[in-house]
Amino acid sequence: MEFRLIAPELILAGLGLSLVTLGAVVKKNSRALAVVGVVGSLAALAVVLANFGLTQDLFSNQLRHDAYASFFKVVFLVILILLFTGSAQYVRDRRMPAGEFYALTTLATLGGFLMAGSLDLITIFLGLELLSIASYALAGLLKGDPRSQEASIKFFLVGALTTAVILFGISLLYGLAGTTSLTGIAAAVAGLSSAEFPLLAAAGLFLLAGLGVKIAAVPFHMWAPDTYDGAPTPVSAFLITASEAAAFAVLLRLFAVALPSLAERWQLILGLMALVTMTYGNVTAILQTRTKRMLAYSAIAQAGYVLVGLAVASPSGVSAVLYYVLVYALMTVGAFTVVLLLAGESLGEEIADFNGLSRRSPLVALMVTILMLSLIGIPPTAGFFGKLLLYRAAVDSGMVWLGLATVLNGVVSVPYYYRIVRNMYLEQGTTTAALTPTVPIAIVLILAVGGTLLLGIVPEPLARVVAAISLTP
Amino acid sequence: MLTALVVIPLVGALITLALPKEKPDLIKRFSLVVSVIPLILVALMLGGFQFGSAEMQYVVDVDWIPTIGASFKLGVDGLSYPMLWLTGIVSVLAIVASWTIDHREKEFFAWMLALQTAMYGVFLALDYLLFFVFWELLLVPMYFIIGIWGGERREYAAIKFFIYTLAGSAILLVGILAVYLATGAETFDIVAIMQAAHTVDPRVAFWIFLAFFIGFAVKVPVWPFHTWLPDAHVEAPTGGSMILAGVLLKTGAYAFFRIAYPTFPQVAADLSLLIGVLGLIGIIYGALAAMAQQDVKKLVAYSSVSHMGFVMLGLAAGSEMAMNGAMYVMVSHGLISPLMFFLVGSVFYDRTHTRMMGEMSGLFTKMPVAATVMAFAAFANLGLPGLSGFVGEFFTLVGSFESLRALVIIAALGLAVTAGYHLWMMRRVLMGTPHTDAPYVDITGRELVVGVPLMALILVLGVYPSLLLSVMNPSVVTLATRLGGM
Repeated sequence: MEFRLIAPELILAGLGLSLVTLGAVVKKNSRALAVVGVVGSLAALAVVLANFGLTQDLFSNQLRHDAYASFFKVVFLVILILLFTGSAQYVRDRRMPAGEFYALTTLATLGGFLMAGSLDLITIFLGLELLSIASYALAGLLKGDPRSQEASIKFFLVGALTTAVILFGISLLYGLAGTTSLTGIAAAVAGLSSAEFPLLAAAGLFLLAGLGVKIAAVPFHMWAPDTYDGAPTPVSAFLITASEAAAFAVLLRLFAVALPSLAERWQLILGLMALVTMTYGNVTAILQTRTKRMLAYSAIAQAGYVLVGLAVASPSGVSAVLYYVLVYALMTVGAFTVVLLLAGESLGEEIADFNGLSRRSPLVALMVTILMLSLIGIPPTAGFFGKLLLYRAAVDSGMVWLGLATVLNGVVSVPYYYRIVRNMYLEQGTTTAALTPTVPIAIVLILAVGGTLLLGIVPEPLARVVAAISLTP
Repeated sequence: MLTALVVIPLVGALITLALPKEKPDLIKRFSLVVSVIPLILVALMLGGFQFGSAEMQYVVDVDWIPTIGASFKLGVDGLSYPMLWLTGIVSVLAIVASWTIDHREKEFFAWMLALQTAMYGVFLALDYLLFFVFWELLLVPMYFIIGIWGGERREYAAIKFFIYTLAGSAILLVGILAVYLATGAETFDIVAIMQAAHTVDPRVAFWIFLAFFIGFAVKVPVWPFHTWLPDAHVEAPTGGSMILAGVLLKTGAYAFFRIAYPTFPQVAADLSLLIGVLGLIGIIYGALAAMAQQDVKKLVAYSSVSHMGFVMLGLAAGSEMAMNGAMYVMVSHGLISPLMFFLVGSVFYDRTHTRMMGEMSGLFTKMPVAATVMAFAAFANLGLPGLSGFVGEFFTLVGSFESLRALVIIAALGLAVTAGYHLWMMRRVLMGTPHTDAPYVDITGRELVVGVPLMALILVLGVYPSLLLSVMNPSVVTLATRLGGM
């Protein structure tokens, strides 16, 4: 049984290692690596889906297999599959070391698996490091590009500090509770005297700060725009979606399972953090002229929306976060795939590169419009429904101000998301030559945009799944 | 039946996108046919429509998102049925009026059809979430219609329209969630929430009503939320202006009738003076602003602000007669303003290439028929007895006199300003000596196809009001009883 439940992890580990080896052998043929990567991830996805309903503690409670973890694993694998499919050409064009790219992304995903699928701080930390260290290398994979190098180094320096902060938080918690298991900590914390509370708060603060860096929440976001802008496009997409989702998986679990008392007391703090993060991201994004930088600030804003679900600390908040994380992954990967498509013509770096796109390819322009509407949160897209669940969670737990702020932030985000739409339809491009996506990119776009529409028009099935997922054992 | 109303235009829009763009005539004809179908359906509904009933009819109710209690529920009653007619008529005529669109036809007509889906949806939805989906869906096509095919300042007008109304609907959304959670009924059903709303704490109810008010007031637009309107209406292409003025403004007012007032009658009654005053300011301000315009299209735009003020005044009064009047104004203005926008934005503009009053004059001698149509529209708009504009305003003023006496007196005086700017406009544009010697072609057959049906309806509704009143009255009476009974 245990073997069956960790089969996806084993598949990913095997896939990662074989990709490294293959990469060394077939240097020229990066497409073959992509195919192997996609097939392997699909296999892992199949197993995760087959095991979805099972709940069990594994390996002396070091791992936990439950619906919550499975949901995040599905999200990670969806991202991985879409990115592998869409990025083959980019990897070849930019002469990225293909073996390293595919292998490191796979291993980073494995890190995410461990983060989502554990109730023990040590294992969580291991997963986090696996994810982070792979990501530092990934960000610098464009060896000839100084921006990519800068992205990698900045990311690494901040990340190393973050590791120390998180470890210190863990050590404080261990000192208080005498265990690294989240359930054990919960039991110990319940019996703490009020004199020990400051220590608990300090531990919580260190962990919040450390994970806050990973989700690029204000005020821990400084590294994010440079890294997301400079890193290779598929890597940026991976960091914004999978890496952030993994950090959210841990944050939710940590506060709901181990530190529920802190979560209650910190409702206001977390709410303010969400508010500041989304507002800062949205306002700053308006000023950007580079596509990826704009998407980086948009990612900060979107992280703020997800933080709303964390702040309300209620079951409806959790299901809202789950829904939104998946939807956000689809929208973002879709948007980045369009950047990848334009990168095929050495375009897409600047927002102005979208000019006149509706003339070059009406269908792609329509898809981008749908993605942008979804990012703003306009029905009938999935972005709307995901946000609706977040608003509902906020208003339901009495934080009407936070719900209202989130809704109004959607309005603030209109100028920059709509600038892309405007450029596509209202501006003249430098060229009017028809733009035809390659088959893999077309597939990714259809899946991402189709999913965005489908989850907006028929949200019921997924809404039912996430409503049934609970965090606590 | 109702589902078809919503779905057909959308399917038509998708098919339009697949048509070859080298054949603009085919695209135009196709979209005309597609927009006529819903109008025929609306007409067919006459057969089964219960005129004496205030109940929802032709109800469609399918589970949509049971987890949160949202359903795909559509229905029609005396309040929405006239709006469906209005939507159908104005949509078809707006397509005909847009025949002159000469670039990117495919996209234009696809957006026009998508817009129809959203409009029918807003008037039919009986579920808050579904209503909101259609409500937001109105924005996207209109953004493109203004932004791509509009006048010189189209981009500014389009994004202003978009952000303004989106901000309004953002607040509306919070209100919707609040009412959903406050009633605890676990449903988004508009009728069910209306019946459960009396359990809501009055203070909470006040805030929810306020959120609804802001959300709807932006669309109406109620002064001081009107500033997007002159920009959007003036910059929009003629077809877009016709739909904006004829139907889109009515969605806001209709939402007051359908949602805000019946759900929280007590709050509405408490705030009636405030809403009445805002309506009055709209009437007077709109009229005065219209008088100050050089641009005829802007004049028509501000006159819309003025007329929608009457709707708010009638709503505020809350009596049967006043609300019948308010509904009547909505329908009547929904016919007159598209006619005026069509004349000003297309018929006159295509010939004179200006909208400035100083630059066109003596049109009576240059193109007598078109000028006569304009005079007809202007007289209808200023409320000449015998035409539809008069009936609604008369009912509104008489019906409101009881409760809002002072406001009604001032509003009636404001009518003098209304008459003033119309007559002044006619004197400057239609009379006098012509500006140039170049001959103008008089109104064409296609333009008459747009103008004549509107004129006929304006006339019929002016002399035979009970045609429309008999449809609305039962629902209005129910609403008025609800307001008065609390």
